[in-house]
Amino acid sequence: MSHLTTETFDSNARAALVDTQLRGALRNATSLFGKRRLAAARGLENWEDLRTQARAIKDDVLLHLDRYLEEFVSNAEQRGAKVHWARDASEANQIVCDLARQQGVRNVVKSKSMVTEEIHLNDALQASGMEVIETDLGEYIIQLAGEAPSHIIVPAIHKTKGQIAELFTAKLGIEPTDDVDKLTSVARNVLRQRFANADLGISGVNFAVAETGTILILENEGNVRLTTSLPKVHIALMGIEKILPRFVDLDVFLKLLPRSGTGQQLTTYQSLITGTKRRPEDEGPEQLHIVLLDNGRSRMLAHPTTRQALACIRCGACLNACPVYQQIGGHAYGSVYPGPIGAVITPQLIGLGKASQLPYASSLCGACREVCPVKIDIPELLLHLRAEITDRKQEQEQAGGRRQEQAGGRRQEQEAGGSFKKRTGERFAFRLFAAVMTRPRTYEFSVKVGRLLQRSIVRRGKIGRVGGMLAQLAPPLGAWTNARDMRPIAESTFREQWRAGLRDDTDPGSDT
Amino acid sequence: MAARESILRSIREHLVASAPHDVVHAEKGDEQSELTLDIGHPNGDRLSASVGVQNDGARSLIEVFGANLEAVGGHCIVARSEAEVIEALNGIIASLQDSPLRGRTIALSNAPLLERLMARVETRVDEIAVSPSAAELFDYDVGISTAQAAIAETGTLMIDSEAERHRLVSLVPPAHIAIVDAANIRLTLGETLATASQGPELSPTITFITGPSRTADIELTLAIGVHGPQELYVVVNEGPPLTNS
Repeated sequence: MSHLTTETFDSNARAALVDTQLRGALRNATSLFGKRRLAAARGLENWEDLRTQARAIKDDVLLHLDRYLEEFVSNAEQRGAKVHWARDASEANQIVCDLARQQGVRNVVKSKSMVTEEIHLNDALQASGMEVIETDLGEYIIQLAGEAPSHIIVPAIHKTKGQIAELFTAKLGIEPTDDVDKLTSVARNVLRQRFANADLGISGVNFAVAETGTILILENEGNVRLTTSLPKVHIALMGIEKILPRFVDLDVFLKLLPRSGTGQQLTTYQSLITGTKRRPEDEGPEQLHIVLLDNGRSRMLAHPTTRQALACIRCGACLNACPVYQQIGGHAYGSVYPGPIGAVITPQLIGLGKASQLPYASSLCGACREVCPVKIDIPELLLHLRAEITDRKQEQEQAGGRRQEQAGGRRQEQEAGGSFKKRTGERFAFRLFAAVMTRPRTYEFSVKVGRLLQRSIVRRGKIGRVGGMLAQLAPPLGAWTNARDMRPIAESTFREQWRAGLRDDTDPGSDT
Repeated sequence: MAARESILRSIREHLVASAPHDVVHAEKGDEQSELTLDIGHPNGDRLSASVGVQNDGARSLIEVFGANLEAVGGHCIVARSEAEVIEALNGIIASLQDSPLRGRTIALSNAPLLERLMARVETRVDEIAVSPSAAELFDYDVGISTAQAAIAETGTLMIDSEAERHRLVSLVPPAHIAIVDAANIRLTLGETLATASQGPELSPTITFITGPSRTADIELTLAIGVHGPQELYVVVNEGPPLTNS
C-alpha cells in the first residue's frame, strides 16, 4: 500500500471502500477516539477558553515566527544544543546523514515522528549504510511490513492482530499467537536489544519553547525516553511552526493535545529537554542536535487562511471526526498527513498540482473544525484551495494549445506540479445551476419540467438504488445517484404552497 | 548559515505578503485573524481550574493524586513516617516477588535516602545496586527513585535530572517505585510547570510520568509495559520531608 500517491486519490479511495476489514478497523478506532475525546473535553469546564487561547498563542507565534525562532535557537544553543536549518527535505536528510557519518553511527533508533516521514529520512539513512529501527510499536509493525502509517496516532490501525502475528512469525520467528500482550512483549524484547546497541537516537518534537530553548515530546510507550536517553547522540527534527513563546504556554497545549488525540488527561510520559547534560557523569546523550525544517511551511504564512494550517498540533482529532476518513482511512490520501488536515497541508507542502484531488476529499460538513483544539477552519481552507485549483486550471486552459509549442510551457506546468484534471462538464453544470437559481421565472419553470421528468425514476420517494430497484439518473448525473439517494423535487414547492394560501398557523404556545 | 538566512527571509517575505489579507480579515471582524492578540496568562485563575478527579475541599491533594494515579493503572501507598515508607517498600517488593516480575534485583538512583531506607527493608533480595550503568540496568527487576514533585489532578510524577540519576532507573526495569513527599504535590499541571521553571536555569531533562508504560497500537487493545515499566508504585510520604534531605 505504500506506493499509493496523492495523484491517484480517487482510485485509492475506491479500493479502500471495498476493504471491509479496513473499514471495520477504522470504524472502531475513529468512534472510540471520538467518544474519548468528547468525554475528556467535557471533563474540563474551560475547554472552549483553552481552544481560543491556544489559537491566540499560535497566531502570535506565526505572526512573529522569525523572532521566536531566533529566540529559541539562541536559548537552545546557550544550553548546549546545536541547531541546524533545513530549507527542504533533501537538506534535512543531508544534515542528519552527515551528522551520523561524522559520529561513525551504525545503528539508529527512532521514535515516532511525522516530520521524518514527510522527508523520508529512513530511506536516506539506509542509503547511507545505516540501520534504522522504528521503536514505537505501531511504527515498528508497519516498518516490518514495509508499509506506511494510516493514522497519526495509531499508525498500524489498518492491521489486525492476526496479520501482525503472521508478520512477527515470518520476520522474527516467533510461535504463532494472537495474544496482544505476547506480541507486545516480543516487540519489547527485540527492541531492547536495538536500544542497547544504538549509537544515534532520532525523535520528533511536539513543542519547542522559545523562552527556554526546551523541546517537549509526548508519548505513552517509553520509547521516546529510551531514544532520547540511551544513545550518545540525539537528533530531534521539527517543523519551524512548532514554537511556543513561553514555558507556561505548555500548560494550555498539554491540556489540549492528549485529550484531543487519545482522550487521555496526559500521555504517560512527557520529556522536556533543555540543552545537553551538564556533567559528563550525568545520564543522557553527549550531543543534542535540533533540525529546523521549512519544506514549504514559510510559504503558508502568506495568507491568513493558509497560515492557519501551521497552528496544527497533530492530534488526529479531525481524522477521527471526518466522515471521509472514517470510510477510507489514511493510505488512500497517499500522503504522510491524511484526513482533513492532510487534505489542506499536503497540497501546500508538495504543490497543488500534485495533490489537486485532496481538497475535494471532504463533504465540508465542518466536523473537523468543530473538534480542532486550535480552531483551524479546515472547511474554509479547503474552499480556499479549491478556488486556487480552479484559478490555475483556468490559467492552464487559457494558455491552452499555444503553450504546447512554447518552451516556457513545460516550466509552467512543472511549477504547478503537474496537470489538473479537466472539469469542463462540472463547470458547465455549475454555470447552468447559477443561471437557474438567480432567475425566479427560470427556476420555477425548471422545477415544473423536472417534476415531469423525474416521474419515471422516483421509487418510494427517492431517486437512487432503492430496494434493489434501479431508479437512477442518466449519465453523467447518474454518477451522483450511483452511490447515493437523492430527494426528488417536491409535489408542490414552498412558493406554490404560499401562493395557494399557506400561512404560519402553528400556535407557538402549544407545540405538543 | 545560508539556510538560516533564507528561511528567515522567506518567513518575513511571506508575512509581509500576508499583511493586506490580514487587514481585510481584521476589518471583517474575523476573530481568528485579529492582529492585536490578547493572550492573557495561561495560568490565570480562569484557566487553572482543576480537572479529572476534582479537589472539592473534602479531599486532600494526596487523595486526589492517588485516585488519578490508580485510574491510569498505577498504585499509590500513603505513608505517615519514614518507618511507614520502609514498610511500604517492604510490602511492594514482597508482592513483586510473588508476581512474574520477580523483584529479586533492585537498582536504586543515587539519592542517598534510598540506600538508607533499603538497608532497613526486611524482604530478602538478591542484589541492590546504586545507579548501575545503562547496559547493566537492563538486567534489574525493580528501579527505585524519588520524585521531585507530583500533580494531583492527573496522578503525575515529575522527575528532574538535576536532582538525582533516575532517568533510566525509572524507565528500564519492569517495575518502578517512586517516593514523593506529600509537601511536593501540587494540584495542577500549571502550578507544577511554574515550580519547574522557577530556578535560574531549567534542568536539562524534566520528565512527567503518569502511570505505567502503555500502548494500544495492536487493534486498540491496551497493553501495559511496552517499553517502560509494567508496574508503577508511588509511596507518598506524609511525614517529615525525606526527599529534600
